[in-house]
Order: sequence, then C-alpha cells, then structure tokens
Amino acid sequence: MKPEIVRGDSADASETSAVENEQLLSSEKGAREATASEASDHIRAKDEMLPEKGGRGVSRKSMVWDFKARGEPFLWGLGGALTIGIMMIVGFVVLIVYNGLLTFYPKPIERVVLKSGAILAGETTRSEVFRPGPETLKNLSPQDRKLVEDLNGYATRNLYRTGNFDLYNDDFRWVSDYDVAEIHRPRDLIFLERMEWGPFIGTIKSADFNGKIVDKESLKWDELKLQHRQAEKRRKRVKEIERDQLGAINHLLERDRLKLRKVEIKHGKQSAEYLRTLEDLKGKEDELQSRHEELSREAAILKELDAKYTVTMADVGGREVNLRISDMVRFYPANDLSFVEKLGIYLSRWWEFLTDEPREANTEGGVMPAIFGTFCMTVLMSLAVAPFGVMAALYLREYARQGRLVSLVRICVNNLAGVPSIVYGVFGLGFFAYVLGGSIDQLFFPERLPNPTFGTGGLLWASLTLALLTVPVVIVATEEALAAVPQSMREASLACGASKWQTIKNIVLPRAMPGIMTGLILAMARGAGEVAPLMLIGVVKMAPELPIDQFFPYIHLERSFMHLGFHIYDVGFQSRNSEAAKPMVFVTTLLLIFLVFLMNAASITLRNRLKRKFFTGHF
Amino acid sequence: MIDSRGRGPKKTRAWVLLADKLADRVITVGGILVIAAVLGMMVFFLYEVAPLFKGGSVKSEWSYRLERTPKSPLGVCADDYNTIAATVGRDGEVVAWHVKTGRALDSDSFDLDGKDVTAFSQAINGSDIAFGFSDGTVRLGKIRFETEVLPAGELPKGTMELDERDRTDGRSVFSLIPGDQIRRVSVAVEMDEEIQASTTGSPIAAMDHRIVDFGEKPKKLLLVLDARGAGTLSSVESKLNLFTRKASTEISNTILPRLEKTTPAAFALVNDLGDSVYFAEESGKVHRYNTAAEDKPFLAETVTLLPAGVKLTEFGFLLGGRSLVVGGSDGSLTVYFLLKRDDARSKDGATLVPTREFEPHGEAVTGLSLSRRDKTFATSDSGENIWIRHGTSQKTILRLTQLKEGERIRALSLSPRLDGILALYNDGTARFWELDIPHPEASLRTLLGEVWYEGYPEPSYTWQSTGATDAFEPKLSIRPLIFGTIKATFYSLLFAIPLALLAAIYTSEFLPHRIRSKVKPMMEIMASLPSVVLGFVAALVLAPVVETWIAAVILVFAVLPLSLIFSAYLWQMLPPKAALRLQGIPKFCLMFVVVGAALYLSYLSGPAFEKLFFGGDFRAWVSSDKGSSAPFLFLMSLPAMALVVGFGASRLFGYRFNRYVKSIDMPYSAFLDMLRWLGIAVAALVLSYLAAVVAQALGADPRGGFVGTYVQRNTLIVGFAMGFAVIPIIYTLAEDALNAVPEHLRSASLGCGATLWQTAVWIVLPTAVSGVFSAVMIGMGRAVGETMIVVMSAGNTPLMDWNVFNGLRALSANIAVELPEAPKDGTLYRVLFLTALVLFSMTFVINTVAEVVRQRFRKRSMQL
Repeated sequence: MKPEIVRGDSADASETSAVENEQLLSSEKGAREATASEASDHIRAKDEMLPEKGGRGVSRKSMVWDFKARGEPFLWGLGGALTIGIMMIVGFVVLIVYNGLLTFYPKPIERVVLKSGAILAGETTRSEVFRPGPETLKNLSPQDRKLVEDLNGYATRNLYRTGNFDLYNDDFRWVSDYDVAEIHRPRDLIFLERMEWGPFIGTIKSADFNGKIVDKESLKWDELKLQHRQAEKRRKRVKEIERDQLGAINHLLERDRLKLRKVEIKHGKQSAEYLRTLEDLKGKEDELQSRHEELSREAAILKELDAKYTVTMADVGGREVNLRISDMVRFYPANDLSFVEKLGIYLSRWWEFLTDEPREANTEGGVMPAIFGTFCMTVLMSLAVAPFGVMAALYLREYARQGRLVSLVRICVNNLAGVPSIVYGVFGLGFFAYVLGGSIDQLFFPERLPNPTFGTGGLLWASLTLALLTVPVVIVATEEALAAVPQSMREASLACGASKWQTIKNIVLPRAMPGIMTGLILAMARGAGEVAPLMLIGVVKMAPELPIDQFFPYIHLERSFMHLGFHIYDVGFQSRNSEAAKPMVFVTTLLLIFLVFLMNAASITLRNRLKRKFFTGHF
Repeated sequence: MIDSRGRGPKKTRAWVLLADKLADRVITVGGILVIAAVLGMMVFFLYEVAPLFKGGSVKSEWSYRLERTPKSPLGVCADDYNTIAATVGRDGEVVAWHVKTGRALDSDSFDLDGKDVTAFSQAINGSDIAFGFSDGTVRLGKIRFETEVLPAGELPKGTMELDERDRTDGRSVFSLIPGDQIRRVSVAVEMDEEIQASTTGSPIAAMDHRIVDFGEKPKKLLLVLDARGAGTLSSVESKLNLFTRKASTEISNTILPRLEKTTPAAFALVNDLGDSVYFAEESGKVHRYNTAAEDKPFLAETVTLLPAGVKLTEFGFLLGGRSLVVGGSDGSLTVYFLLKRDDARSKDGATLVPTREFEPHGEAVTGLSLSRRDKTFATSDSGENIWIRHGTSQKTILRLTQLKEGERIRALSLSPRLDGILALYNDGTARFWELDIPHPEASLRTLLGEVWYEGYPEPSYTWQSTGATDAFEPKLSIRPLIFGTIKATFYSLLFAIPLALLAAIYTSEFLPHRIRSKVKPMMEIMASLPSVVLGFVAALVLAPVVETWIAAVILVFAVLPLSLIFSAYLWQMLPPKAALRLQGIPKFCLMFVVVGAALYLSYLSGPAFEKLFFGGDFRAWVSSDKGSSAPFLFLMSLPAMALVVGFGASRLFGYRFNRYVKSIDMPYSAFLDMLRWLGIAVAALVLSYLAAVVAQALGADPRGGFVGTYVQRNTLIVGFAMGFAVIPIIYTLAEDALNAVPEHLRSASLGCGATLWQTAVWIVLPTAVSGVFSAVMIGMGRAVGETMIVVMSAGNTPLMDWNVFNGLRALSANIAVELPEAPKDGTLYRVLFLTALVLFSMTFVINTVAEVVRQRFRKRSMQL
C-alpha cells in the first residue's frame, strides 16, 4: 500500500490549516520530539506534512480526509487495548487496596429477622447478585417470585459473619433479600474476638470476677476492660512460660541428649568417655527437670486463676456461653462506637497483624513470623546473589575474551532468567536438600539421624534456590551497567598506571554501582514474591520456631520458615473456611504487594534518576 | 622514566600486583563456577531422570546344590530380606535353607496325616499355602518367617559363619545390620483345621486361595474344583475371641453350578473381590462364573483364550486380581481384563478382553511368579529362560538366560522386595540372583503412550500417581500434563498477545509523552506482581463472579470492540478543529469512558442476551447438548464474516467509494464512512446468521469441542489471570522494540506525507517485528512455566480436552502439588523430575529462539 497523502486545502488558506494538519497528525506524539535527542527530529519538525499545493477542485473551507490513511477505528482499537490493560491493573490494585484496608475496620452488626421467623445476628460482610435456582424459586411466595422475575431472575443476597462457630458450626451465612422480614442494629450487641472458635456475636449476660457475680445492668464497661487487661497479662505470662521458658528447657535437654548420642557414636556405649558424659549430663538434667516442674506449676496456677474470671454471653437466639476473660482478644459494641473508637480498634488490629503470631490455623492473629521469614530469606538470598552475580558479570564483561563462546554463554544466562521458578524449586530440593544437605547430615550431624537436619527443605536451601533463580537477573543488569561505563575511562585509568583490578575497583564498579543496585533490588523483589519453588523447599504453614533465637548458633539456617506469599496460598486454599480466611488473605496480599511494589518503585526511581534502562538494555 | 627529583622508575607495590592477580583468579574462577552451576542444572536433571529408563540388572548370583531336598517340591518362598528360603514337598515336609549358600536349616514340617495331596495353591505372598486332598478336604497353612531385631551384644555363642553378613545356629540366621544391630530370621509353620471343601467328597482337582484384607478383618477366599466338576467358593474368616483367646473359624460356602462336561480343569482362580471365578482347562477353554451374588452364582461365559493346538500352561492374576495372565505352550503371554462390553456374548454383559500382549517366549511358558509389591512378574519357559516383566509398562525388565542344559525349573519365587529371584530345579540345585529393579513401572510407553489400565474400558492417557492400596496401578502418562500446559498457554496468549501488542503500539506511537512516562513504569511494576496474588484473586474473587455473569463476559468480547469502532466513527465526525483540540489526553480519557460504558452495557444486557441466545442459562446450555447450537455458531462466525465482508467490500468498490467520500464535505463524508461501516456490520451479521443456520443443519456443534461442561475454576479464568502476568512482559518488551526503531525512519515516512497510522503500520512495525516476536516468545515462556496461578485457579484435573470452560493440570502445577509428597528416589519422584526437565526444555527452547531473534534484531537495528 502506498501511503496516501492527507490533503490540506488551497494555498492561500494554508497557513493555519497546514499547521493544524501537522498538529493533528503529530501532536499525539508531540512530546516525543522534546525528549528525543536525535538530530533527525529537528528535520522532521520542519519538513513533514507540507500540504500539497492546489487541491483538486476542493472548496476552500472544507477539509478533506482520507479516512483510510487516518485509520481512526484502528487507533481506537489500539487505544482501547491500552485502556483495558490500564483498567485491569488499576482495578486489580483498587480491589486489593480496598479490601485490604477495610478488613480491619469494625463493621456494624445487624440483627436480621427472616420471614421464616428465624433470627440471626452478624457483621455485614458483602452483598452480591446471584441467580436463585428453579427449586428455590418454586418455594417463594408469589410476590417475592415476581420481584426476582422482574430482575431477569437475579436477586441480591448479603453475607453475614455470624461467628459463634462453637454453636452454629458455621461462621457465615448468606441471606437473600427476599427472605428478610426486618433488620435492626441493636446497640448492645457485642463483637468479641476469641483465642479459639473465631468471633462471638451476642450480648453480655453477666460476669464472674473470681466469685463476684455482676449482672448485665451493674456491669461497668471500664471494669470489664480492666479485668480483661489483667487477664491478658496472665495470658502473656502463661505463653511466656509455656513457649519461651519451657521451650528453652526442652531445647537444652535435647541438646544434651544429642551430645550424649554423639559421644556414643564416636566412642561406643561402653567407653569411658560415654560414661563420663552421662555422669556430667545427669546432674544437669535433674536441675533442668526441677526447673521445668517449677514453671509448669506456675503456669497451672495462673490458668486456674484464669478459669475464675468469666463472662456469660448469649447469642441472638438466647443460647448462653460461658467464656474465660483470658480467652478474649478484643471486644466492642459494634453498633455503639464513635469514629475515634473505631479507628482505635482498626489500628489495634493492624498492630496485632504486624506484630503477633497467627492463631486459628492462620486465619486470625498476625503474620509476624511470615514477615520475619520473608525478610530473612530475602536478605540471605541477596547476600548470596550479589557477590556471585557481580562476579559472573565481571568475568563475562571484563575478563573473558569476547567471542562466540561468551556470547553463547550470554544467551544461556539471558534465557535462564526465563526458566520457570518451579524448575529451580525442583533442582533445589533434589540437589541442595537431598544431595548436599544429605551429605552434610552424614558428615556433621550423625547424632540426629535419621531425622534430617540439612537434609530437608530449610531457610538456607530456599535462599540459595532463589539466589540461583535471580542470579541471571543480576548478571544481566550488572553487565549492562558495566557496558555503560565508557571504555575511555578504563583506558585513562590503565594509562595512569593502575592495575586491572584497581581500575575495576576504583573506576568501573563505582560507576556501575547504581545499575548493579537496581538489578539487585529487582532480584530481591522477584525473590520476595516467589512462592512456587518455596513450596518444595522449606516453607511451612506454621513454623514452630523462628530462624533466629537465643540459642547457639543463633541463626538456624536449617529451619523451615513461614513466608507471606505461601501464607496467602495456604490460608486462601487450605483452610477450613475460605470465606473466614479471605479478609486475612486480602490483608496479607496488600502487605506483600506493598513490599514488592516498594522495592520495584525504588529500583525504577533509581533507574529513572540515573537515566539507565534495563529492559531496553536487552536490545 | 626519571622524574624531576631523579628517582628511578616507580615500582608497583607488591600488594597491588598481588591483589590484581588474586582478583583475576577469584573473578575468573567464581564467574566460571556461577555459569557452570547454572548450566549444571540440566545435567543434574538428566542424572536424576536417567534411572527411569534403565531396566533391571543382576547384582550378583549364587548357585548351589541343596543339602536336602523334599520329595517333589510344590512351591518355594523366601523372607523379606532374602535370608531364608523354604519349600514344601508333597508329603508336607518343609525344607529351609540359607538363600545365598544353600546351607540347610532345621525347621518343622506340616503334618498331613498321611493324606494324598492332589492339589496345591500358594497365595501371592508366597507363605500362605493350601493343600487339597484326595478325600475332598482342604487344609490351609502358612510358612511364616519370624523376624526379630536384637542389639549386637545378644548374638548367641557358637554360631557358624555363612557369609560376611549372616551367621547361623542351625535353625535361625543372624544378620548384621546397620546401627549395630542383629536381625534374627527363622522359619515356623502353622496349619489350620481341615475344611471339607468338596461337597461330593471327591478328590480336589484344582484350587486357589487368596488373602483379602480390605475390610476390617482379614478373610481368606478358597476356591476348589473337585474331580467331578463341582466347584465351591468358601470364605474363611478367623475370629479371635478377646476373652478366651481362642481362635475360631467361620466358613461360608457358595456352591457353584456344576460344569456340564467334566473335562479336568487344570487351573482354578478367584479374584480378590470374590465376585468372579475361573476354571481353565488345558485346551485354553475358560469357564467364568459370576459370583457377585453369593446365593445366586451362575456360569457367565465359556471362552477359549488360545488358538487351537496351543495348550494353556500358566494362568494367574497379577497383584490386585484384575489382570489375568494367560501363558501358552507357544510361549505367548497375554493379559486379559474382564470388561463390560456391548457386544459381549455372556450372561452378565462382561467379557474377557485381551489388553496387553507381551513379548513372547520362544518356548512354552512353564512358571509364573508374582511380585507382591507391584505388577511385576517373572515367567520361565521350557527352555529354562527366566524373564522378568512389568504388567503395566509391558517392559521386559530382565532376561536370565545363561542356564545349563537339562535343568528344569521346578519353582520360582520373586523376592518380596523385588530385589531378587530364586529358582529351584528338578535336580536339587537352586539359584539365586540378587537384582536391582528400581523403576519397573516406568517406560517410554507408560510415560508418553496410550496405556490400557486396569478397570479402564479402553487405552487412555491418564495421570493418576497415587492410590489407596498397594494394588493400585500408578498411571504416569505425562501427556495430559503437557497438554494442560499447552492449553493454559494457548488460551492465555489468545487473550494476552492482542491486548499487549496493541497497547504497546499505541503507547509507543500515539500516546503523549507525559502519559507514556507514567503508563510504562506502571506496567513494569505489574510485571513483578507475585503470581500467588494473581492466583488468589482469580480463584477466590474472579471465578465466582465470572460464573454468575458468564453470559455478560462472553458478550464483552463482542461489545467492546464494536463500541470502540463505533466511537471511532463518531469521533471522525467531529469538526477538525475540535478534533485537534481534543487530540491527546482528552481522547485517551474518552477511550476509558467508552470501555467503561461497553463493560456496563454488557453487564446490563447480559441476562437478556443469555435469555435470547442460550435459553436463559448459559451453563446449562453449554453442559448439555440440548438447545440450538446456532446462536453460538453465529457468535463464532461473526469475526470471520466481518473480515470477509469488509475485505470484499473494499475490493469491490472501496476505491470508488474512497474517491467519492473525498469529494464530499467534511461532516457528511465522515457520516458516509460510518454508514459504510454499519452496512458492512449488518451484512456480516446477516451472513454469519445464515452460516450458523447452515452449519447447525449440517450438525456442527461447538459443545464437546472447545466449549463444554462449565466448572468454576476453568481455563477462561486461568487465561485471564495469566494475562495479568504475561501482558506486562509482552507489553514492555514490545514497546521497547518499537521504541528502538530509529527516529529518522519515522521522520522520513512522515516527511513523505504518511500519516502516523501509516507510519506505525508500514514503517515502524515491520522494522520492529522481530523484537516484537521475541517479546511474544518471552511472554510465552513465562506462561508455560507459571505455577501459582494454575495451581490455584485451574482446578488441577488432568484432562485432555480443549474445552475452555473446563479445568486443566499443568506440568508446573503438578510438580508443585505432588513433589512435596513424593518419596525420594521413587518412581514418582523421578517422573516429576522428568516433567521438570520437560518444562525446562520447553522454556529453554522458547527463550533461546526469542534470544536469537532478539540478538539478530539488535544487530539489524544498529545498522539502521
């Protein structure tokens, strides 16, 4: 096809319309010229779109278009595609941010009376349009049926979080609009988060403070709060005893057992060494055991005390439940809150989320171990990937003789960046955990066999696997950065008498550092968001211990860990009630996306500031 | 080199030189190591996968003459650790010996009260045996290997060394095992009460018995056929009284209808469920009884499984009791399944179907020994060859042929752990081979080909790696997984490529710079969105919404492009000055409005559309074959017809029309142009309706093809979610490629009077096409390997159909789901490594193609 020329009008009127024409055709990319530095732009701005003189019998004022050349429908098609892309992304982010931010905000509790006479009370969660099945329709009253039919067979329903899992065996309930008789928001309904069984929704009947029974009328909110604070203190102490102190004792006992076993493997059971060690440890063990008993006793006393402080609650149907105050996490009258109080609850939930440990099969509580695990893994990965990636790039760019082999290697490295992450995971499991880890266990930890130490997935192997996964990214980025350092600078340095390494250390690397950093940040962002390989190698849904603790050697690289990304997968797909888990998943997602976006934005800002391009660098 | 102060040439300090040398070495070695490590992955995968395709091998071999031999031995068995073997003679004498040396060990014998044994049967575990006597009675017995682990110190004094591992005290064998322990193995025999099995009291001609323990209590099934042709199936249950500690047996008999002609049956068989019974004659004639109803057994069919003149020499079930092995005197070996068949000429609608032919022995098949771990079995022939094969893979794992002439194999026993085989010869010698058969069930045929699995009506490609029982046959065809990957990639690219490329062209060529500098980083950040997030949103948020609004979603695919084009024609009608002023950002914003409006319109008209086209319920329509298929065909043929009509119209009178339009004044010409488009649209509608009606009349129906049963987590959702992952990548790389086209080319084109659109399509795009192609390839590489999205939103059903509304199981998802559970170095573990290797190779090829194209493109664009 021959490009057809857009016709302008006749010569005398051409001044304005020619300019207009030119604008019309090039203004959309007008700003391109402003940034592009090529000289050709200058020429183009002058020369393009000179109107053809003397239109063919076209009236002066009219503009004639060759619509085919203008291609308006196609332009709209192109633009539409971009629009859809942007809308998808924006919609996605808005969905996550909206759901993630709103999750912790206290919602009102509604008391719903159904037409069937049943009553329920629940936190309003969301509503949706659905299509009732033919069976359901048949059972409706004629008016209701007509209502549904008027909406083309669609109806609206609301999801209520009714809580009280111990009473109802269900957390959520859908209520269709046509079933509802009336809805209130009574002020005395309490939303109560518990350590177990999910939230309780209902009213307070009475309280029992160590034998002092207070009924609903005379119960003061402040007194309850006070008791709750004290009960919380006791709960924390019990947890401290049971998890930290008893855990420490168990750890020490286990360590002694392993020490003994090691001596046994080395010298045999009849040897003098063995008997001596046995003797040594005997005394220690007794001491630890007595300490153990002491602590257990304290915990038992505290628990006994806990049992004496209770609250009796009643659900909306009047069924009563007796709850220990120490089992209550948070409670508030959902329909009787000022904005400031709501904000307070909102923030306290965020605080719990960021600093606490998960409970209730990860669907409640916090994600601190997951944040910590993600952090540890990312840091370890960066420590592994940075030197090796930079070293490989230095070798490829500065040391290796540029030839066919190096360009072949470069192709390999480049497309290894595109190898699926799960493949790296398989490699990590097969090679790192089973082959390397297995040998390490044989050599260094024979006393723990057959329980694997390094011979199974863990923090170290996961980090190394991800390092392997991201090393191509760093190599490519570093190479680009190195290539961008002008040859003249190297030559100048060498000419001044610097050695090769001095040149690299003092001239090349500092220049390339921003580019290398960008590559590293990109690699970290990729590593932090990657889940598939971790599923195979070291990530667990609930890690009993953090990878860093107070026992020698303080950093336990062999331990399995929790990860934000895997947390999303696990809570969203493996938990008993995916509806109950959804809010948690949204918040975790928000957190993960926030971290990943932050790292990416950092690298992009860095790049833009340094006018360096990575993706374009490929070409 | 003397400076002003007269100092000599400055010497480089030693540590500088040293540091330089050191850095040189470290960087070179480190760099090469990193690259080697990365490339070493492939080698490691190959190393892990290779054992799958190896057959078995003989590790070592022992041959000896037994010190004692029983009178005409009936069967042989060995313990789990290949320590002791035992055989029983026709008189009930049990002879035990050390497997590797032949040294005789003391053992008790069965007391048969001097009765005459006329039939003998050995259960699949080897140690449960049954004797049938001439008076019609049967006794069940057991040769039990007692195993006990002792600390090393408790080795009794006075033991004699057998080999480096084993010692004996004459009765038990003590083996040294790792962890400073000793394992003691000895033989004990047990015998149950006598059972009057034959109702007529005539001698037992053939019998079979098996131990069934899939209920709570173990049960023994006993089948006998007496000399008069009367068969009885008994179920023997042993009960242990908890208080008295006394065992009692409970027997229930099913009397089978008598065979009409009483030719002596050579073999009797009952399956594990006890619902079918076979009596086979030497001529190859098999009588099958259906005993599903215990009170009403009937003779279901009588078939001849072998050609005339060929004698039936072996007849037995593989582990699980579903594969019937038939060996003939011509060396042939075939597996039959009992399957429901429409053309079956039997009373219960089922018949024996030959499903697997094995490589034939040269001579008559004479011995059969089954593995109790999997479907492996060993056969011997009259030429004294022993072949070990696997029932599912039909692989001949091992051939043991180097035997002396004149020895006849009397009995054969595969070791319980499939690590050895023991053969007992007529002349009182025995041989034991220690074997290594790591992966009998894997072969190219089971991994890639169609296999006829037990219980399946026909051969199929199936992936089902784990089952509930030992008798489960792992189905390891990786084809459905490869297919799943391809399907997910295809549908997601179908969605992602057009969107990403069009958007890239618009961004690079038409978008004002100010917006461009914001849009691009946004898309780049999108590329790093964790896929677990995409998967979660797709599966838990998107899938239910799409399920409810599926009709509206389908409608969007038509409404969106149409409304965009329509608004383009409307835009053309704007006066030029206004168009100029609104060019750029306002126009771009208007596009958002149009897209939004189109989405809303589809949402509103979705129910009406569903009612009109799909009888009010799309999911019901698509799952059944009721309702007319014309509406869907109409939708499908619409784009093609629009192309045909548009192309035809422009060829026929496009030129004249264009000239005419040019001669008219502005708003009218634009209006005319729009009318032309509307005309084409209407013509396309009419034509595609006609086409749809004709196609339906011809019997075309897309259902069952690429649309069909609707499940919530389907390929449409996967495609959409994967689009999120792939679009940013294709978009960024393609945009870069377009952007890298030198500016002077554009200038030249525009200078010659081409419009931006013409420049974009005829100058920029052709120049950048290889870069764009490599962008698409890289996007494809990502789609192939994407894991979390498919794990979460694809439903993970290993199916092989193109139905866009059905789920799939991709290679990557399969690895993620199954590898954590796969035992190390097992067959599944290695097969999963194989799938990882396949995935690795797929993406490696795609990425390498992309990389090569990109390098070439880079070189070319440098030259421009």
